[in-house]
Amino acid sequence: MMRARRYAILLSLCLVAPFARAAAQGDPRLERLDEATRPIVVGLIDSARAVGLPVNPLVERALEGAIKGAPGTTIASAVRRLAADLGRARDALGPGASPAELDAGAAALRAGAGPDVLTRLRRARGHRPVTMALAVLTDLVARGVPIDTAAKAVLTLAAKARDEDLVDFRRAVERDIAIGAPPAAAASVRVNAAAREMRPGRP
Amino acid sequence: MGTSDAALVSRVRTGDTAAYADLVARYRDRLGRYALHMLGNREDAEEALQDAFVRAYRSLARCDDPERFGAWLYGILVNRCRTTGARVARRARRFVSDPTALETTPLPGPAEQTEWDDIVRWALARLAPEAREAFLLKHVEELEYEDIAQLTGAGISALKMRVKRAREQLQAILREAEHV
Amino acid sequence: MFDEDVVERVVRNLRRSVRIDPALDRRVMEEIAALPAEPAVPAGGVWRWLTARRLTLTPLGALGLAAAFVVAVVGVWRVRSASDTREPAVRGFQFVLVEPHAANVSLVGDFNDWDATRTPMHRTAGDGLWSAVVPLEPGRYRYAFLIDGRLWVADPTAPTTRDDDFGAPSSVLTVGGL
Repeated sequence: MMRARRYAILLSLCLVAPFARAAAQGDPRLERLDEATRPIVVGLIDSARAVGLPVNPLVERALEGAIKGAPGTTIASAVRRLAADLGRARDALGPGASPAELDAGAAALRAGAGPDVLTRLRRARGHRPVTMALAVLTDLVARGVPIDTAAKAVLTLAAKARDEDLVDFRRAVERDIAIGAPPAAAASVRVNAAAREMRPGRP
Repeated sequence: MGTSDAALVSRVRTGDTAAYADLVARYRDRLGRYALHMLGNREDAEEALQDAFVRAYRSLARCDDPERFGAWLYGILVNRCRTTGARVARRARRFVSDPTALETTPLPGPAEQTEWDDIVRWALARLAPEAREAFLLKHVEELEYEDIAQLTGAGISALKMRVKRAREQLQAILREAEHV
Repeated sequence: MFDEDVVERVVRNLRRSVRIDPALDRRVMEEIAALPAEPAVPAGGVWRWLTARRLTLTPLGALGLAAAFVVAVVGVWRVRSASDTREPAVRGFQFVLVEPHAANVSLVGDFNDWDATRTPMHRTAGDGLWSAVVPLEPGRYRYAFLIDGRLWVADPTAPTTRDDDFGAPSSVLTVGGL
């Protein structure tokens, strides 16, 4: 090839800037993703950031996928899905929800809770954070309690229970399940007991 | 949930020194890549990197925007690399009579280092430091010209010229290499 | 054509991840620990060290982090009503796993950026019990144990995640306070 033509091509490359990446922001942790996956995930995260969603959970999800050796498409899907869940959690919990609440909300939605459960929890808890209530809900489902039973249980307790009470409730249900109680029954029994404890007038 | 840079910076500022280790771990490889390519060998790169991290810790109060801790840290590293690079060059001029010997010193690296790796490093080392710095920050670290201008103190058009020259020089150098 | 994309090939080569020896972290922290004692770095111009109510580590204490914390078994959630709502409190949590046949075990999760080199677990002599202590702010953390660098194991004492996106199990720890 003629030298002049080479330089012309180089010049045109400079003008077109083929290496320019769209504001690939420098979260250094994302360097662990392979070259094909990184820009996709960065794009997803940038979009989430642009609408005010917390990005740390998205980064962490991508890193989890990377270290577990998941293919790039799987990682991107997981990040996309989490971003969508975070958005739905914010729709349900309101724009004032903290990153921790959104993270817990996304997990609860993924566990099968409907957005209305989140909204009702928010209403029931008032100004208090809903993080622990959502976490307990998600953990109960993880232990095998059907989603409707778990949601009903947490909503019953939500208005009056402190975070410690919710934790105690979860542990009690887990203990019952561990010794053989059916998860749904364990949850129902424990919630009735807890609700009785919290009724005004009881010591 | 994980912890953002701003949260970690905040913790360090209020006395939780150990949280700084998390920031170091987070940025070690990424900044190490720049230092390695800028300085050409691991020993100098690690020295510059360590120096940058310690300086950053000492001047953490002056990090105005903890959300952009990474970019701020970059600026410190770029400076450290300039100082280390200058010191290495002075040392080399004193002890090395053959100027190309320093440039072709192979990097200690993974066993599967290819011939192409060596050629790339050699070509990079032949760029003037200013051009190499601008090229790495723009194309490898993918920073915006505005950010690079802040880090290096150079004007944006000067930087663009340096990057363009670096690319032309690399083209020329690598063309030579294929004809050797 | 070779000429047109040779610079792009160079850039691709240079963009490859570089692994710096993680021992650098220790050297940095040791150098920091050896710095002459200064008053706590003021944040935003306000001298907060006079009124700090959170865990404060001396530089040397930072190196003895594991020993400095009160250990709590995973699953015990102690919720403190935050008297200082601006900065969340940090507490140490102990993670344990029984694996008598493992050569090494790493604790990996959201709190260490899923980096298997950050939190190696320590083996108590003889009984196959591995443990590690991690300082955690309030929040929700996914994590798992990595055995001998290849086998992922969830925490048998903790709830597992429903969203197992990656075919390897994870557990969840929720730390109260938020």
